[in-house]
Amino acid sequence: MTTSARCRRAPMAMASVLVTAVLTVACSAPGPGSAADVDLGSGPPQAGTIKADALKGVTLTFVSYGGIYQDGQMAAAVDPFAKESGAQILQDGPTDNAKIKAQVDSGNVTWDVIDSTNVFTAQHCGDLFMPIDTSIVDVSKIPPGAKTDDCSVPAMQYGLIVVYNTEKYGANPPKTWADFYDTVKFPGKRAIQGKPGELDPGVLEGAVLADGVAPDKVYPIDVDRALRKLSSIRGDIVFCNTGAEAQQFVESGQVDMALLWSGRAYTAVKNGAPFAPMWDQWMPEADTIAVAKGAKNPKASMALINYYLGAQQQAKLTELTSYSPINVDSKPQLDDLAKSFLTTTPEREQDKFPLDVAWWAKNNDAMTTAYADWLAR
Amino acid sequence: MTVVDVLSGRDTARQTPAETANTKRRRRGAIGLLSPSLILVLGVFVAPLAIMLWRAFTDPEVGFGNFTWYLTDAVQHDVLIRTFTTALIVTVVCLVVGYPFAYAMVAFGPKVRAVLTLLILVPFWTSLMVRTFAWVILLQDNGPVHSVFKFVGLEQVRLIRTNLGVVIGMSQILLPFMVLPLYAVMVSIDRRLVMASASLGARPLTSFRRIWVPLSMPGVGAGCLMVFISSLGFYVTPALLGSPNNSLISQQIYVQVNSLLQWGKGGAMGVVLLILTFAVLAVLMLALRRAAREEQHE
Repeated sequence: MTTSARCRRAPMAMASVLVTAVLTVACSAPGPGSAADVDLGSGPPQAGTIKADALKGVTLTFVSYGGIYQDGQMAAAVDPFAKESGAQILQDGPTDNAKIKAQVDSGNVTWDVIDSTNVFTAQHCGDLFMPIDTSIVDVSKIPPGAKTDDCSVPAMQYGLIVVYNTEKYGANPPKTWADFYDTVKFPGKRAIQGKPGELDPGVLEGAVLADGVAPDKVYPIDVDRALRKLSSIRGDIVFCNTGAEAQQFVESGQVDMALLWSGRAYTAVKNGAPFAPMWDQWMPEADTIAVAKGAKNPKASMALINYYLGAQQQAKLTELTSYSPINVDSKPQLDDLAKSFLTTTPEREQDKFPLDVAWWAKNNDAMTTAYADWLAR
Repeated sequence: MTVVDVLSGRDTARQTPAETANTKRRRRGAIGLLSPSLILVLGVFVAPLAIMLWRAFTDPEVGFGNFTWYLTDAVQHDVLIRTFTTALIVTVVCLVVGYPFAYAMVAFGPKVRAVLTLLILVPFWTSLMVRTFAWVILLQDNGPVHSVFKFVGLEQVRLIRTNLGVVIGMSQILLPFMVLPLYAVMVSIDRRLVMASASLGARPLTSFRRIWVPLSMPGVGAGCLMVFISSLGFYVTPALLGSPNNSLISQQIYVQVNSLLQWGKGGAMGVVLLILTFAVLAVLMLALRRAAREEQHE
């Protein structure tokens, strides 16, 4: 090897070391923001309000599931909150349970206010999420029964419902869970969520209700019985990974019935799919909003949640996303079709099958595992 | 130098005494040059791997609980077998499609080669998500492929949400990993050997079988290895093109890690997959070493 070649190589090696050093330093730089104690004013909290400029210099990160939903949340509540409070709000997503756990476990929490599911926040109240501070959050306007655990408030409400093709079934449509599972009287493909690891409360409940279990005897769920019932129509099930996929199956006519979320059902019908909802024993579901345990600024995070719960904010959220508001004073301006898919009306209150979120919080892992195993078989 | 050269111990460069004087300085230079990649490998591969291993044995309690669970669970057993079977099928499909393709790349003129290279590289540069969604659109019920099948009276053949669909999608996505190593080996084969065998009276098929195929074997080994091992960890493609009852181990790991927050179980699954992958590597390495030795004896 010649000297000149070696000399040329030495600076390269030096440069490499330098790059490494820079990388190492950059990676270990401390995160921004320390817990500033904020003054949110005095007196009992009022949903939908925040003291002007109370959070100047505070930075929070709001995390949700993306898409129209998160855009709606930002426009209806989060951005106006930032403007009024002076806080800087970043957004991130989609919500990822493993990331929440990783942040909390490592003590480096960058997701402050998180939109999650009611079962997950109930299951991890205390270990991943902190209790809602009711001296900051006004929970008095939340519809009765909608707040399902101490660490969260509902983010909105929707329903797990069956929709069916009105052209196919005509004058004799399916009316009950038993009809959904009756492929002789109601032939056709059914869409059901089928992503391993995901199981909404309601899927198994519907199966045991169809199998003749009395509504007050559904819990504790006999999971073997539920899966046997599901197996009885497995050949006619089209599994979907996401809500978007379920909606597409409905709109493209690949299925004649679907067990899906009311928001997706509404959008499919609005887009012209000849489908109608079956409201008998529909299952109310909700996303929840919670603050991660170890969040840098819990007070400011709670203040955001309090603002989110306001009547106006909820009305706007409903107008933008078609999910139902969770403030009893909310008066969203909607067309008739959107109104017919609202789940927080007296009419819907009567025909709902109430899901036991507390039971799910205790049994979620067993149910999800059983369903994932059934799916993989 | 290919993966196979390393594995089969073909890298036989030895230091001469004259070079030893420079060794120290060169080593320092080498460490300097390698340090960014070393930090990267240590930071984002070795450290997480160690944490995963640690969790597999300690989360939620110390012991072999996670492994006992994984190795005795009937469903997980089926999924593991399915994962390896699918990887094997995809590897065979890639080899059957990729070998003639790579051969055509070296056998015909530069124009054909340019076109074929483009055909391999353009999909290679396209995002995996995009390609998977393209396959969803192509294979879905009433999609283009299904319509053609319908037209010729094969309406009952379903592609989306079947194992066949998963294999088609994965094979197309992994094909470049087969073709590129094959091409790299084939392009360096001395074609005069083939001519020589012909001049000695071998028929084209005989010279192909006895000259070309053995000389291209390192490429076959490298290609198969890349495709097989990549297949084992595929997540998006089987999730989107398959039905849940075609789910592979990566989807089951997702269930444990993401849905159930059972990181110990997820870790154990990762460890088992890693060990099995190493086992495959070891078997292949032994086979290649033996082949190389026999080659030398001849």
